[in-house]
Amino acid sequence: MNFTFRGKRISGLLAVVPAREHSFLEEMKNFNFPEARSRKLMEVMGYDKHRLVEPGVCVSDLAVFGLQYLFDRNFLGRDDFDALILVTQSPDQLMPPTSNIIQGRLKLKQDLFCLDINQGCAGFIIGLIQALLLLEQPSIRKVVLINADVLSRRTSPKDRNSYPLVGDAASFTVIERGAKDTALYVNLKMDGTRGEALTIPAGGFRLPSSAETAMLEDVGDNNLRAKDHLRMDGSAVFNFVQLEVPPMIESLLSFAGFKREDIDFYVFHQPNRFMLQKLAAKMKVPYAKMPMNVVERFGNSSGVTIPMAIASSLRQALATHQFRVCLAGFGVGLTWASMLMPLGPLDFCELIDQP
Amino acid sequence: MNNEDFYRALTEILDVDAVKAEDILRDFSEWDSLTVLSVLAMADSNYGVTITPEDIRSVVTAGDLATLVDIRQK
Repeated sequence: MNFTFRGKRISGLLAVVPAREHSFLEEMKNFNFPEARSRKLMEVMGYDKHRLVEPGVCVSDLAVFGLQYLFDRNFLGRDDFDALILVTQSPDQLMPPTSNIIQGRLKLKQDLFCLDINQGCAGFIIGLIQALLLLEQPSIRKVVLINADVLSRRTSPKDRNSYPLVGDAASFTVIERGAKDTALYVNLKMDGTRGEALTIPAGGFRLPSSAETAMLEDVGDNNLRAKDHLRMDGSAVFNFVQLEVPPMIESLLSFAGFKREDIDFYVFHQPNRFMLQKLAAKMKVPYAKMPMNVVERFGNSSGVTIPMAIASSLRQALATHQFRVCLAGFGVGLTWASMLMPLGPLDFCELIDQP
Repeated sequence: MNNEDFYRALTEILDVDAVKAEDILRDFSEWDSLTVLSVLAMADSNYGVTITPEDIRSVVTAGDLATLVDIRQK
């Protein structure tokens, strides 16, 4: 399905990564595979470093740190925004919503629409859609969209399918009204029948966490993980992305009335470098127009990789210039969503460490 | 489909000198999830064919795989 929004813009963006850096070469010995094969995996997928939170660190810790940074530097006034959207799949608690926990910890005003959204790799686009919808209301002046996950805490260190690529991070995006003639185009699809490709089986009400769900098991691929852990069917996800994403982008371009070459940057969710290279080749997009180096530097932080790619690869350009960008997220749900819009100049755009 | 090109691509993925039609895929020391993913990607980018992990489980030899890609392409 397609949406169009007018007269709104992203005005600023901050990405926060934990200071603790892990390296694939050190973690390799935890995997039940020959070292040569792990090195090959590193080379093909583009694994190297990734950032993981210290034990016990929660999404609200990253969120409070990032928002406080924005307040301290006057990038954002603490009473200047009327909605706080948090997109996460690793909430502090089942209830209350983590957005309310953040509101409470920072003592933010009561006239604040706090909303948690359970979404993953397409979570930046899903969060933006919700922000744009809220901005249709005159009483909403600015929306702060937080994408944050600490999924390393639910990933088995003995699972070579997932652990080397996972990264923890948070991003803070301010969305507000902009030039009236600005148009933002969106394409969105979901398919719950294929949801099994990306799951955490235990920990909800269907299968509560127990001693049994915490037990590591080999499901037949030499990787050890528990039912409490994230599990990803890499081949199924790969096929899904190659099959669905290129036609989605074609459809978005034609809906918006642009040609492929009219787009300055394709900023896509970054599962790993391999998948992005295959996507770029299939869509005939030059590598220079598609940032791909988030996973090797920070890891795949689900919904945070798009803002992180903007903050790490396009920061300088966006300080002074405007570009026509095509964003796309794809993953858990399954969900695939894309957005075409002008981006920049931004009031702020930074990537910082959380000590 | 040009069989020679297909086997050359398999040779590179499996990191061996040659692959013959009767070779059993699971017997290659390099046969693991990364190899399967590389095969799916090769079928997609070189032949525009989607092969699923279930397809891979049902084929035994390199020749079976070549036949599968060939049929899908037609």
